[in-house]
Amino acid sequence: MHSIWAVATNTVKQALRMKMAAAFIVLLLVLLPVIGFTATGDGTIKGRLQTFVSYGLSLTSLLLCLLTVIASVYSLTSDIQQRQIYTVVTKPIRRFQLLLGKLLGVILLDVALLVLFAAIIYAITLYIPKFAGATGEDIARLNNEFFTARAGLTPAEADVTQDVLNMYKELDKGGQLDQVFPDLSRQEVIDQLTTQKKLEKRAAAVGQDLLWEFHNVRPLDPNESLFIRFKYDVSINPPDSQVYGQWLAGDYRQVKYATKIETQIYSFERKDPIRTFREIQVPADAVAQDGYLAVGFLNVPLNNTVVIFPLEDGLEVLYKADTFTANFARAVLLILLRLIFLACLGTFAASFLSFPVAILLCIVFFATASFSGFVIESFDFLGGNMSSVYSYTLKPIISILPQFDKVNPAKFLIPGRLLSWSLVGRTAGLMVCIKAVLLLLLGLLIFSYREIAKIIV
Amino acid sequence: MDYAIETFHLTKIFSDWWGRVRVYAVDDLNLQIRYNEVFGLLGPNGSGKTTTLKLLLGLLHPTKGRSLVLGGDGADPKINARIGFLPEESYLYRYLNARETLDFYGRLFGLPAKVRKMRIEALLDMVGLTAVANRPVGTYSKGMARRIGLAQALINDPDLLILDEPTTGLDPIGTRQIKDLILKLAQRGKTILLCSHLLADVEDVCDRISILYGGKVQAQGQVKDLLQQTDKRQIITDAITDSAVEKIKQIIEAEHAECVVSSPMERLETFFIKTVTAAQEQAQPTSGAVSTTRLGDFLTGEPAKESILDKLVSAPISEQAAPKSPATEQEHIAAVETSSVQPDEQLLRKLTEPVKPSPSDAAADRKVKTQEVEHKPPKEQEIKKSILDQLTGGTSAGHADKQQPDKSASGEGANA
Repeated sequence: MHSIWAVATNTVKQALRMKMAAAFIVLLLVLLPVIGFTATGDGTIKGRLQTFVSYGLSLTSLLLCLLTVIASVYSLTSDIQQRQIYTVVTKPIRRFQLLLGKLLGVILLDVALLVLFAAIIYAITLYIPKFAGATGEDIARLNNEFFTARAGLTPAEADVTQDVLNMYKELDKGGQLDQVFPDLSRQEVIDQLTTQKKLEKRAAAVGQDLLWEFHNVRPLDPNESLFIRFKYDVSINPPDSQVYGQWLAGDYRQVKYATKIETQIYSFERKDPIRTFREIQVPADAVAQDGYLAVGFLNVPLNNTVVIFPLEDGLEVLYKADTFTANFARAVLLILLRLIFLACLGTFAASFLSFPVAILLCIVFFATASFSGFVIESFDFLGGNMSSVYSYTLKPIISILPQFDKVNPAKFLIPGRLLSWSLVGRTAGLMVCIKAVLLLLLGLLIFSYREIAKIIV
Repeated sequence: MDYAIETFHLTKIFSDWWGRVRVYAVDDLNLQIRYNEVFGLLGPNGSGKTTTLKLLLGLLHPTKGRSLVLGGDGADPKINARIGFLPEESYLYRYLNARETLDFYGRLFGLPAKVRKMRIEALLDMVGLTAVANRPVGTYSKGMARRIGLAQALINDPDLLILDEPTTGLDPIGTRQIKDLILKLAQRGKTILLCSHLLADVEDVCDRISILYGGKVQAQGQVKDLLQQTDKRQIITDAITDSAVEKIKQIIEAEHAECVVSSPMERLETFFIKTVTAAQEQAQPTSGAVSTTRLGDFLTGEPAKESILDKLVSAPISEQAAPKSPATEQEHIAAVETSSVQPDEQLLRKLTEPVKPSPSDAAADRKVKTQEVEHKPPKEQEIKKSILDQLTGGTSAGHADKQQPDKSASGEGANA
């Protein structure tokens, strides 16, 4: 252990004294405040905060990622290139200890820098509302929409498999299949029917109601509010593009089983524009003790249209599940996981490649991992032969890489969404404990058996 | 018999990308280096010396054959803990200063902080870098880097010291000092494998040598045996009169042999060190000339080195050299240094005792610096006398005997 530690501290010294880290540190120290005080977003204070947090974290993450790759690759390859490694590996240190020491050094550096910059971003974020002269009303709004960590619950999707199969059989029997769905394969027909059936379950005809039940709703503070976030879609456009609706929120079981009313049931009558997200603020004490909450919607006869809640994002219940600070800390942790993965990747690459090649490899991996969601999606659009070639070559490789864009912390902080421990844990498990460790083990194996000295005769 | 280093048909072939044999860097090498021996690996550039060392230390994998270092694998941390290695150039972390460099290596050995600190200061002192210890080693000259390289090789007080071209880049005084150090370590029971093409260095310090060419051993044996011309005799005298020379010539002619009479040449090394010393002595009182400062630091650091080295290597003394009386040790030193070391001693004496400018005396006095310099002038007198006796030919039988055994003899003695 002492030798790992010795190598680790030496690696940190190297990164700091070779001015490698300095460039990144100076850049961030200058840029973060500049972004903080110039970002405007959409003109509101919330927009400003969102822009700053998003840019600040993304920039910090990007620069630290680059630093991590460079530091982890350079630390080992320069030792081999400049041959300091001759005097190091001939000391009582095993090769894997040397590699782990280098890795530990880079991670330590990352942790220190990340904590520093995260603290700066956090401080500026808290300061921006004061700086921008926010009123009490603004602050209340920010507390509800930005300085929060809201968990979102979407209604469970109805299981329509049986319905769909039945319907398919009927159509098939009646010989209507080709008529209704010309030139489609069985699977494609079933997919279409499934969507159709699911939408039916989320549509309310005039005078009909819909009821969604949620379990395990745990607001941080019952005195605060929860939000029903919804989007209307309609079959016939109303003249003013508005829909009337009556909403209910509370413990529906009290009504259903006619028990004593213990928790308040709230009712709202509203008129909302179609195809835009709207939120209804509901006092959080509508939630029952056991975390149960029902939300009801009545399509009032005033509307002359069927109201549909789109499948993806038609309805969601949001509640404050944690504080902004805790959420922010988890977001930073997510960046750290990314850095640890890259440090392992760099160490792996450096175990058998020279500096330029290893850097190139890491950058390619990093870029792919950053856009993998986009890359995979766009390749999925390819048809025919190209697609099969792709799905047997590139796709597995890309899928092996972690998907940084899927766990982008800004995605959670901007809408004030809860970044749950379970997501952080899953990311840590998959990205670090499995993928990074595998890379590292491979690197250790290669490095333990390779010849270190250059051949000179 | 156990050997400190033993190789069995060690072979290293460098192939090209297609696996075709390019060159035999080391070819069926069978080396046997005994414990407590100073062994020299000689050869022209590209003869496989460095490759052999790299094979021994596991930096390269042998194509065929194997090697044992201190009875084990040279890449095994347990064995590494007992080895000191100085590569052909001092590859250092440029951004660390000398102290941090040594501290880093000390920590790799897991030395406790106290021991580390003590050894670092001792080594810095020994290699004369205390004054510049806080400068990044990237700013060091080649010779200074070499010194710090040597210091890192000694931080663990190794049993086996593997030195690849230890004197490259060093000035003659530094070279002299490294040679002295090697001899001193050998006396304290260390095994030293030296790799060099500077023949003078090897000749001065090695017990046995092996000459490599094309990865193969071309000649091997004790330096004395290899070099001694048994069909010739050399007589060295004081400046005797011409008539005496004539008389001697007549005697030799009577033996039907030929003789050449000349004044022995001083070695350039001796002359150089003498000159530098003289220059330094003149410069110091006046301005403390900058150019000589480092040299002065280095050499005045030398006494400390002795005592600290003693501490560093105290264990081996008690174990391996215990049977010898201190007196015999002293005489070994004397004997060893008689062969070649005069200039250094002289210089050291001058530097540490600038008050006594008597070159001939100084040259004669080869008793080692520290103790006397520090606080024992009377003892020094005695020693000087005895050595003067030796030199001026008033040789008692005992002295003559003791002058003979050189390092190889002493090395074998310790082995037996």
